[in-house]
Amino acid sequence: MYMRILDSLNIKKQCAQYRVGLWQCPQFLFLIMGMIIIVAIAATNTLANRYVAPEIAALIVLALAGVLFVIGHMIVSAFDRVARSARSKSEFISIISHHLRAPLSAIKWQIDVLLPQNQSGRLQASESAKYLNAIRENNERMIFAVNDLLDVNRIEDNDIVLCPSAFSLVELSRGAVIKFSQLYPSRSFSLHIESEDITTMQVYADEEHIRRVIQHLMDNAACYSSEGSSIMVRIVPEEAFAKWSVADEGIGIPPQDQPRIFEKFFRAQNAARHQTGGLGIGLFVAKSLVKLSRGKIGFSSAPGKGSTFWFALPIVK
Amino acid sequence: MDTKNKRILFIEDEEALRGAFGETFQRDGYTVFEASDGEDGMLIAKKELPDLILLDLILPKKSGFEVLKELRKNPDTKHIPVVVLTNLEGSEDVERALAYGATTYLVKANYSLDDLVAKIKSVLEHHSPAL
Repeated sequence: MYMRILDSLNIKKQCAQYRVGLWQCPQFLFLIMGMIIIVAIAATNTLANRYVAPEIAALIVLALAGVLFVIGHMIVSAFDRVARSARSKSEFISIISHHLRAPLSAIKWQIDVLLPQNQSGRLQASESAKYLNAIRENNERMIFAVNDLLDVNRIEDNDIVLCPSAFSLVELSRGAVIKFSQLYPSRSFSLHIESEDITTMQVYADEEHIRRVIQHLMDNAACYSSEGSSIMVRIVPEEAFAKWSVADEGIGIPPQDQPRIFEKFFRAQNAARHQTGGLGIGLFVAKSLVKLSRGKIGFSSAPGKGSTFWFALPIVK
Repeated sequence: MDTKNKRILFIEDEEALRGAFGETFQRDGYTVFEASDGEDGMLIAKKELPDLILLDLILPKKSGFEVLKELRKNPDTKHIPVVVLTNLEGSEDVERALAYGATTYLVKANYSLDDLVAKIKSVLEHHSPAL
């Protein structure tokens, strides 16, 4: 507590956090503004006392102090917002560039190997196919990364267009289970539907958005679980909502990381150690898209045992 | 310099990068060992005692920074030149890797495989182990 107060008074340290010069630093400008206000009030007080009655002089000084304080606070707050936004953009660019550079450098090396002048003997057809497949995979990784980043940008700019309609969550999930079974043949995906009524049940939301939410949640389940483990998708009605969930037997989320799991660019410590390629935006995008569809999203997790992520959407009556 | 007897360990989690690297360096006469995570990399380094280690920083199980620290602590591996090869370029990462004892720091995206062969050759030629 005391340390935090002392830290907030250390203007040099505060300014270093924004990575801006002293004259662009909100805290320093606030200090300067305070000094100007004091000088202005003192000068007004002297002049007012010389020319008007003391009561009126006091009123003028109070009014001036109030106006100057409000203007000063507004200016400094605006500076603060701009400085924070600049810092967040620069962190954003640094993360993007790293995540785009990884597949780009992989493609560069794979092309290097395939170029005829770099081959000592001709590569066998199977070897060439291996490198071409790797190039395609890396290209897809870049497309996914760019799509995710565009989603983040649209979400932050409130620029997401909703096209809600009634659709079957079961049909959408069947397609996703087939797709993920092909993408991750070493995991065992299954779709669990408790009663026939659920098959005909429809929800009202933007189908394309929900397809992306399902993709993000199922991709996480597959990425953070080991080969041979099972991943179960379940759909159950819960009052006026259809609850979709995916349960894995993966690494789980440490309790200290759970409150931040839906934050943009946040990755749990064990997740980063298990799977190095993640960007930390899948759950942020999933939560934002579910919220836009007036749904609910959540999870439960036990480290070392697995996680269950769920979302619920309103049922069409 | 004759590179025929030189042995290189490449610690990198991306399989396609390890494949491309192995293909090129074996063509040039090097013996290449590969590890896909930090723990495996550490085991191979201690067992094979290569002439040079190429080390990625973002690795599963044990990060490149942890591997670097362990390599420098171990009396058998502390003289092996370690070339950090990563896509991280922040000044903090570069300073930390050099402080932990990296011989040099290269950004993957800036190097073609031929450039990398030349660079590794130069590191092997100029590296004189501290005794």
